[in-house]
Amino acid sequence: MTQAGEQVQRFTTRQRLEHVAVMSLFILLAVTGFPQKYYDFPLSAPFVQAVGGIGAVRLVHRLAGIAFGLLSAVHLGSVVWGAATHRIPLSMVPTRQDFRDALQTLRYYLRLTDRKALFDRFDYREKFEYWGLMAGGLIMTSTGLVLYLPVLTARFLPAELIPVAKVAHSNEGLLAFLTVIVWHLYNVHLAPEVFPFNKSIFTGNISREHLKEHHTLEYQRLFPDEEEKEAS
Amino acid sequence: MRVPRAVALLVLCPWPVVAFAQPAVPPPAQEIEECLGCHGDPGLTMTLGDGSLQALHVDGEALAKSVHAGQLRCTDCHPGMAELPHPERARRNPTEFAAGFREACKACHFETYTKLLDSSHFALQARGVEGVPGCIECHGSHGVMDPSTPRTQVSDTCAACHSEVAERYGASVHGRGLQGKAAGDVPVCTDCHRSHDLAGPSDRSWLSRTHEVCGSCHGDKGRMERYGLSADVMQTYLADFHGATATLGQARPEDGTRVTALCTDCHGVHDIARVDDPKSPVLRANLAKTCRKCHEGATDDFPAAWMSHYEPSWERAPLVYATKLFYKVLVPFIIGGLVLQVLLHFWRVVVNR
Repeated sequence: MTQAGEQVQRFTTRQRLEHVAVMSLFILLAVTGFPQKYYDFPLSAPFVQAVGGIGAVRLVHRLAGIAFGLLSAVHLGSVVWGAATHRIPLSMVPTRQDFRDALQTLRYYLRLTDRKALFDRFDYREKFEYWGLMAGGLIMTSTGLVLYLPVLTARFLPAELIPVAKVAHSNEGLLAFLTVIVWHLYNVHLAPEVFPFNKSIFTGNISREHLKEHHTLEYQRLFPDEEEKEAS
Repeated sequence: MRVPRAVALLVLCPWPVVAFAQPAVPPPAQEIEECLGCHGDPGLTMTLGDGSLQALHVDGEALAKSVHAGQLRCTDCHPGMAELPHPERARRNPTEFAAGFREACKACHFETYTKLLDSSHFALQARGVEGVPGCIECHGSHGVMDPSTPRTQVSDTCAACHSEVAERYGASVHGRGLQGKAAGDVPVCTDCHRSHDLAGPSDRSWLSRTHEVCGSCHGDKGRMERYGLSADVMQTYLADFHGATATLGQARPEDGTRVTALCTDCHGVHDIARVDDPKSPVLRANLAKTCRKCHEGATDDFPAAWMSHYEPSWERAPLVYATKLFYKVLVPFIIGGLVLQVLLHFWRVVVNR
């Protein structure tokens, strides 16, 4: 029998720590990055002065960026290694089914169907965010390094790439920030199904009802007996 | 009939008393003539405390042509000197002698005087440095004229002490312009350094605003068009890494470190040249060397990282332009798509269940 409020583990301790780290670094990078992008915004200069000057802001931004890059590299490295040795499932890899799910969901939103798409461990929205973060992180880290070390860059690459890196870093940062504000904060805080707060990534657990509702295919895989009971 | 007599007394009596209570003041022209009686002598001198001779000659002709002619009498600036013989005043040296007159100018030019107290010249004077100008060293005394007519007058005034800098300025694009048709448009010393509240060359807050100093002319479209120059140089500087840094913080902190490149770090200061002058530090052939002033070890290709004050376009910096365009499409496309999905989801779940 399922008990109300029974919890199932969704994230490992390492994944929870990775989320806290990436979240803190993201906030730190945004706070120290946007005053540089919007240097003529009236609050930028007073803010920069208040926290110790542009030198201090850049130092923090660069250290946080390096930490972000290392975190991504370690994460990606262990994921690739884990996948190669079949120790972790490829549940985050996008498949054709994700595109079908996205279309099905769109049809559902538009009332063209009343059948919701059924999701496995990660739905297409979560995959989009994860790969968006990985790709965006790669762009931000590489262009950030170019801007941090322009002289070294020019020794190996055409120097024209330095202003290109500046434009890319600035816009990609804005894109990442807006994605988190619009998409991530809606999906984990404001969406009616989870409002006010989907705590799974912090506690590591998901309630059995929530799992059944939103990751139906995974639930069926984890608890095949329950399905039979309910069917009978 | 007694009342009119009292009125008559009241009206008549006090006047002689009032008239005699004031010492006799001769009209200005008469006073000047009296003073020039002695001070018109070119050989008139006095000995100061340090033994140096101080000329006391007044050029009557210059005085008659000065801006103060007809406005001031001698004793307005030299109070107490109506007494003959003049009261003894101990002055140790020429600097002290001249400084005494600053108080005389202050009586009318009070605002200018307070500005002077903020100047680097005054700071030097307060430390006891000799030969630092106060008022009369720059403006002259009896022959004081409008200090900036003609404009070359300003540079000549400063050149009296700052001869080396004046020479470099004179050979610069600004200094040469002053001798020609551009005389009304090029900066003279005081346009950049200010006059009475002038900052010293190591004044950090003034240095940090270098782009504003240069931008006050180089951001002026009308003025730049006359010489075929771009008025976008300041905006493009600010939009780039160097300019944004200068906007956000003190570009030259108290510890003297160089945080970012200011206009003058690349273009030079007093010796500033046209950008197509072979001597210009920003000419393509010289640019790598200029970059190396801050970017140690920069390769000869490194200046290609700098957009030379141009907005990116297909012709100039196509890669930068393409990247800019790409994100101009991508950001609204992705964010718009996500917002649409959020709204649709909310609508389906809450309104249209």
